[in-house]
Amino acid sequence: MYEDEKTQQNLYAFKPQLEKMSKKGVALVVFLLLVMGFGMYALYIQIVDGHIVTGMRDNVVWGLYIVNFIFFIGISYAGALISGILHLLRVPWRTPIIRMAEMITVISTMIGPAYILLCIGRLDRLPNLILFGRIQSPIIWDVIAISTYLSGSIIFLYLAMIRDLAILRDNPVKTARWRNPIYRFMAVRYKDSTKQKELLNVSTDLLSIVIIPLAILVHSVLAWIFGMTLRPGWHSTIFAPYFVIAAVYSGTGVLIMVMWVFRKVYHLESHITKIHFNYLGIIMIVLGAMYGYFTFSEYLTSWYGSIKWDMEVLFRLFNPSEYWHLFVFAVFIGVLVPIIIVTVPKFRNINSIAFAACIAVLALWVKRYLIIIPTLETPMLPIHDLRPEYVHYSATWVEWALTFAGIALFILLFYLFSKFIPIIPVVRSGEEKDYSRLRKIVFEKQMKKVIRQRKKSDVVVTGIIILLMIASTPRVIAQEEGPVQTVLKLEYFHIDSVQNLKATLRAKIDGRYMPLPGMEIGCKVLQGKTETPLGTNTTNDKGIATFAIPDEIIASGGDKGFYSFEASFSGKDNYDKALARTTMKPLRMEMSFFQKEGEKMVNLKAFEPGKNNEWIPVENLDVQFYVPRTFSLLKVGQAAITNGSASLEFPTSIPGNQLGYLTLVAKVEENDNYGNVEVSGTINWGKPLPPTKIIKRGLGDTDAPLWMVYTLIVLLSLVWFHYMYVIFTVFRIRHLGKT
Amino acid sequence: MERRLTNRRNFLKLGIAAGTTAIITGGNSVLSAISEPDSKDGKETGEKIKLLTPDGKLVEVDKGHVCCQPAGNLEARQGLPDKRMVMVIDLAKCRNARKCLQGCQKMHFLPPHMEWIKFYLMRDSADMSPYWFPKPCLHCNNPPCVKVCPVGATFKRTDGIVLIDNDRCIGCKFCMAACPYSSRVFNWEEPKMDKKMNAAAYSPETSTPPKIGTVSKCDFCPDMVRKGELPACVTSCPNGVFYYGDKNEDAVTNGTDTVRFSDLIATRAAYRFMEELGTEPSVYYLPAVDRAFDYKVGFEGLSEEEIALYKTEANITE
Repeated sequence: MYEDEKTQQNLYAFKPQLEKMSKKGVALVVFLLLVMGFGMYALYIQIVDGHIVTGMRDNVVWGLYIVNFIFFIGISYAGALISGILHLLRVPWRTPIIRMAEMITVISTMIGPAYILLCIGRLDRLPNLILFGRIQSPIIWDVIAISTYLSGSIIFLYLAMIRDLAILRDNPVKTARWRNPIYRFMAVRYKDSTKQKELLNVSTDLLSIVIIPLAILVHSVLAWIFGMTLRPGWHSTIFAPYFVIAAVYSGTGVLIMVMWVFRKVYHLESHITKIHFNYLGIIMIVLGAMYGYFTFSEYLTSWYGSIKWDMEVLFRLFNPSEYWHLFVFAVFIGVLVPIIIVTVPKFRNINSIAFAACIAVLALWVKRYLIIIPTLETPMLPIHDLRPEYVHYSATWVEWALTFAGIALFILLFYLFSKFIPIIPVVRSGEEKDYSRLRKIVFEKQMKKVIRQRKKSDVVVTGIIILLMIASTPRVIAQEEGPVQTVLKLEYFHIDSVQNLKATLRAKIDGRYMPLPGMEIGCKVLQGKTETPLGTNTTNDKGIATFAIPDEIIASGGDKGFYSFEASFSGKDNYDKALARTTMKPLRMEMSFFQKEGEKMVNLKAFEPGKNNEWIPVENLDVQFYVPRTFSLLKVGQAAITNGSASLEFPTSIPGNQLGYLTLVAKVEENDNYGNVEVSGTINWGKPLPPTKIIKRGLGDTDAPLWMVYTLIVLLSLVWFHYMYVIFTVFRIRHLGKT
Repeated sequence: MERRLTNRRNFLKLGIAAGTTAIITGGNSVLSAISEPDSKDGKETGEKIKLLTPDGKLVEVDKGHVCCQPAGNLEARQGLPDKRMVMVIDLAKCRNARKCLQGCQKMHFLPPHMEWIKFYLMRDSADMSPYWFPKPCLHCNNPPCVKVCPVGATFKRTDGIVLIDNDRCIGCKFCMAACPYSSRVFNWEEPKMDKKMNAAAYSPETSTPPKIGTVSKCDFCPDMVRKGELPACVTSCPNGVFYYGDKNEDAVTNGTDTVRFSDLIATRAAYRFMEELGTEPSVYYLPAVDRAFDYKVGFEGLSEEEIALYKTEANITE
């Protein structure tokens, strides 16, 4: 198959590239591996020491990594859009550049996500993305979109390679024999029969239709990571189309650069001509102009609206001591220079267009930096921090090392790939012009050049940067000396039916009285001259020791109805001893609820022991009413008891439980005679608590809104259905090849 | 003090302790979300407390049975039943003493530079007078951080608290970029803590021990709420600036005063910070009117450098 002269010539021209690797090539690979090795070392440092080794901090949480992530995903557009559109429109000059474009897509879509991984604090927990993934999060959109896009790009690239793989199967490479079985396997018995040709063409067309909207979606999703936040400078509705245009612009730029490099390295002057540069240059400047238009629209809108926070970001961008120079480069030079170079015929040649592409690509990298960093440096609340690294972001050597490692990996993969399959499709579709005469001349030139170049040798230079870490200084803690003053407080509590004593021990530490836990407190009852011990207890973490008052002591009638208690702390370690006394008289209170003329009321009765130990109504007593709440008692009223009784309106506006049950506490507090006495009652007169509404689906909930789930399922199944169909077609091609 | 173990709260705790007893199951489905405690934890203390059941009966239970451990990672996703925690910050009483932060850092074993409460000297425009503005996490009801989390490591509970599960967090920092209030901080390096604390069982409710490569923030101290105690920021503030409580109970307290939440925010014209963003914070601010302190008092104890920074931020030229 493919016995035509053109294909054979191409094969003759390209096969040496596959079979041999020049010294320069080896040197390049070694150099790239060294750069990557240094990057790996930086990654090791980052994993061991944590993200502290990067320039990222609490405000600028994303740095160079995310810039590179957007950049690489951006340039992946070259393949998807350029090759997809050129293929669909059957643009005749597309053939020599289409594989490079697709390779850019596949390689950069593989490298891009690696940067987002570098930005993640816990790589060990990546499986959580699948285990607990929430499709409300733009990051999950990204994971799904990029993986789908990468799969599509790989299939697309593969489809376009089948013809060349078949040719390489039929003309085995000589040096590296292990490759031939791979070619044979991957060529899926493609014999260019009419049926096979038709199937291949249909599936390529199909996939290029699918890949275009998919590519747009991928970059939109990327933009939405930023657009969905409330951040000034990010929260913009045009962010998605803006990112898409910027991405195609940079993708075209990178394609032109790659074309220029391979044209020089593999001497493809006869294949990649000025026409390709001119046409792509024009596409590039049209995209550049659109990018300029979006930029203008974006900044004009936020400047005109002049919302405080938007203005703060703009001020940073326009401030000559901050980002003005970068902004000028990214927005003015990055748009105007390529346009001038390509539109003015005098400036327009292959080298200058490649230079313009360089400018555009660099400018777009800087633009991504300007999207991420100034916005993160301008939160809605000012960054109040004295540490400069928390205020201004500056990338560290680790981030730069990994940035260059990514670029090195890009070049390396590209280079190795070009050793595996011709960088330009060998089999032509016959739609292009005949360059064969020119090709012969160029080939002769090439041979002379190759002989000349072999005499030269290459030197590879690498540099290593060393940073020193500062050790933290140990802290010295001062110790106090001398006896510490302590205070003991003894209180009587009568709560419902339980009567007890509470001794609170505090020590004066740093001028404040702090509770002393773990101390032994002794307590006794004083009755005339007799002392009855109540035992010893240890204070809890609030410095409180509790003693129950046995019923027989109360039954004894006390000293004319009064009871005296004493608590003592005998001192321990540095703490001084302390003593406290309290005297009290029993008080009985009864709470009841009643309704009077439709009003809900609380009644409280109070009695004290009389001369003959009988209960008599209390004359005058102030009582406070409370409602218990989570942390404390909420005061709802007070009443004065006269002749043993007091009434209060029930606080019906206070929420109770779901059935409206509310507890009311009546308290006599720190009374000289009665100590602390309280009584409580419960009734369903409170405001019933409405049942908790549990929303299951929503942006902030565990499960996504249904429309989101459906949209995702529909989109994914549409795309994957096409992928499956194409894969199925490949199997059919293989099956057809049997006969 | 002990009497603060009040009936209403104890009723909730009974739900935790008794779980399946006939009294509690009466019509409260939220309680079933909370598991029974490990029998090992339920130490008998001999101290009895009274609990209110949903149908208004009082029962006595040993205190040891109702004191609970901080919730585990899955349990912590459920909010405390029937609660809606809110905070009210009285700007008129704040003098930038920063005791709240110190208390918070001590309680959560945070290194000095890790601030879950941040202090701003606010000045809304040149004609207005500056005021101190302490800012914990605002625990939004429509939290931008929770929306963007790819793994559900940060979540909103039914009690209004936004928590982080540091065992699930992958450290993508998207929540930090999404939070308009800069409430979140990142553990950029291995947290330096004493071994005892590191060995302690992690709970999203205590946020300790912190974990490298994950996000932290103010957690509204649900572990303290479970115990019926106030967060450290509330109790350590010398001026009673922070009021904390349950909106469903219509009560907030700053440790000394307990007031009705609805009264407080109505009479003092409370506002929520950046309400226009639609985040619906759970933290309310009382405007700095009739101030207890001149704003300059807040400069006490600060370095010259920091004072200068505050002055720049608030546009104070003198």
